[in-house]
Amino acid sequence: MNRHDYFYHMVAAEDMQRLRYIPTVSEFVDWIAAEYAGMPALSDLTRTYTYQEMCERIARRRAFIEELGLQKGAHIAVFDRNSQDAIELFLAITSAGYVAMMFPSALPEQAVIGCCMKFDIAALFVRDEFAPLCTKLQDVKVVPASSIADKGIPAARVDKESPAAIFFTGGTTGAPKGAVLSHRALMRGSFNAIFKPGRVIGVHRYIALLPLSHVFGLIAGTMGCFYTGNLMHTCEDMKATIGKLPVIKPTILVIVPGICDILAGLCKMYGPQFLGGQLRQIISGAANVPPRLVEIFTKLGVEFCFGYGLTEGANLTSANADAVEKPTSIGRVYPDQEYRIVDGELWTKGDNTFSGYYKDPENTKAAFGEDGWLRTGDLVREDEEGFLYIVGRIKNLIILPNGENVSPESLEEPFYADACVRDVMVKEVEMNGEKVIGIEILPQMPAFDGKSWEEVEAYMAALVEKINATLPSTHRIAKVMVRKEDFKRTGSMKVARN
Amino acid sequence: MTKETVFEGLKDILASVKPKLDPSNISFDSKLLTDLGIDSLSMLLLSLAAENKFNMRFASDVKFETVGDVCDYILKAAN
Repeated sequence: MNRHDYFYHMVAAEDMQRLRYIPTVSEFVDWIAAEYAGMPALSDLTRTYTYQEMCERIARRRAFIEELGLQKGAHIAVFDRNSQDAIELFLAITSAGYVAMMFPSALPEQAVIGCCMKFDIAALFVRDEFAPLCTKLQDVKVVPASSIADKGIPAARVDKESPAAIFFTGGTTGAPKGAVLSHRALMRGSFNAIFKPGRVIGVHRYIALLPLSHVFGLIAGTMGCFYTGNLMHTCEDMKATIGKLPVIKPTILVIVPGICDILAGLCKMYGPQFLGGQLRQIISGAANVPPRLVEIFTKLGVEFCFGYGLTEGANLTSANADAVEKPTSIGRVYPDQEYRIVDGELWTKGDNTFSGYYKDPENTKAAFGEDGWLRTGDLVREDEEGFLYIVGRIKNLIILPNGENVSPESLEEPFYADACVRDVMVKEVEMNGEKVIGIEILPQMPAFDGKSWEEVEAYMAALVEKINATLPSTHRIAKVMVRKEDFKRTGSMKVARN
Repeated sequence: MTKETVFEGLKDILASVKPKLDPSNISFDSKLLTDLGIDSLSMLLLSLAAENKFNMRFASDVKFETVGDVCDYILKAAN
């Protein structure tokens, strides 16, 4: 079956004929308001809003944003959990002609300040609980995330090539960057999220378990849910929400393998009814999906689909709806997108390609091959049916179980500020049979002035703990190895990673 | 409920959360992250299981360093 048919025949025909690619968020919000008007859209378990009600609230939020008096195209950030406010704000900011940036809810104060400066944030919508972290911001209008006007205004007309959102990404190298997605790219990624087996319109209860600051949570999860007229449950506290699965009774979960693992563990401890008894599909990706998870959930009667993508490709590059037959494949490349394999590396081209890294021409240039092809940095092989398999990675990134990409360099940097450290290398290592972040440290021995090796190790363990305390909990280093011998080095005397 | 009974219950949970972990290596002083590899996702599963087992609730912003810290918290919250 060719690639176009694989995807277009995956969705039930009566649903597929209602769906089409919509190139801007403004048109999308108007379309879902009309197409799915009376259907349930958003719930926090205390109240459920229909599509019409949600889109009316988005229009009132647009009116509030207009009252801020910002220039069109200004950058507006949202610092919140996965709340009703955050979801509506994203759609309001982008459909009002501004550029949205969703901050991770675990961002520390200094990072909030740094991100506002780096990404030229003009206004910041803040959850009340996070407001104390935003008191030192200058030249940024800080407003409560709950702000909403009494009357709505229509969506702005926007060019599909204009920027819609900026997402954090580890990118292919170095420090975190801001990947700019145009309306065209964001909406193509969102359209790709409709491709799931069977009936897709108005049949599912989703939960916003993944952060909205991550393309997988926002595009594959939230935008995919709304594109197909389904109900999204907010998630302001992941533990509390998982505890409520028997009440929410999700029918579909868009989650990273790390959360799949948790759910598999809960099923093992408390039985499959813990998931609510109505779960039919799990869409997983953003990190490698271990085949054992496919096996566990298939036995429970849950259909497992997974995919592959990167922030620079608006999240959704390929999908595998044949996870049982091909559990190690990242699937086939979505339709209406070209791909080629150059020296083993997957290159893609299509509407979903990002515009570049914000104010970073050097890394933007490196992200592209000739003629606008996006270099994914992943080495793949393709089988005779067009299914792709990751066989290696060119880019130097650690993919965490929660789907986040971390550049080892960004974790290594603070260690170099310590006079007792000569060199370090952060990498993925095994601990109790699982992959964790580890660090090898080469001490600057003269700085220890004759102290015992045990004291050197104790010092390094304490240093790791001190630096861990400054990192988001998902980025913390679990395993410490203090080296007695020098690292293998490159010709320029840098630490050789491989 | 004593700290020892909480500890034994917590060890059972840890054995489910981390099947490859040797329970005889777990002590009050074991560091969750650097000794046992309990990252934030594993901690989520551990806390959900502990809430069920000990009929208590963890505050959303609570942080733990060692197994002993978790035992103390559970003991205080459950009593």
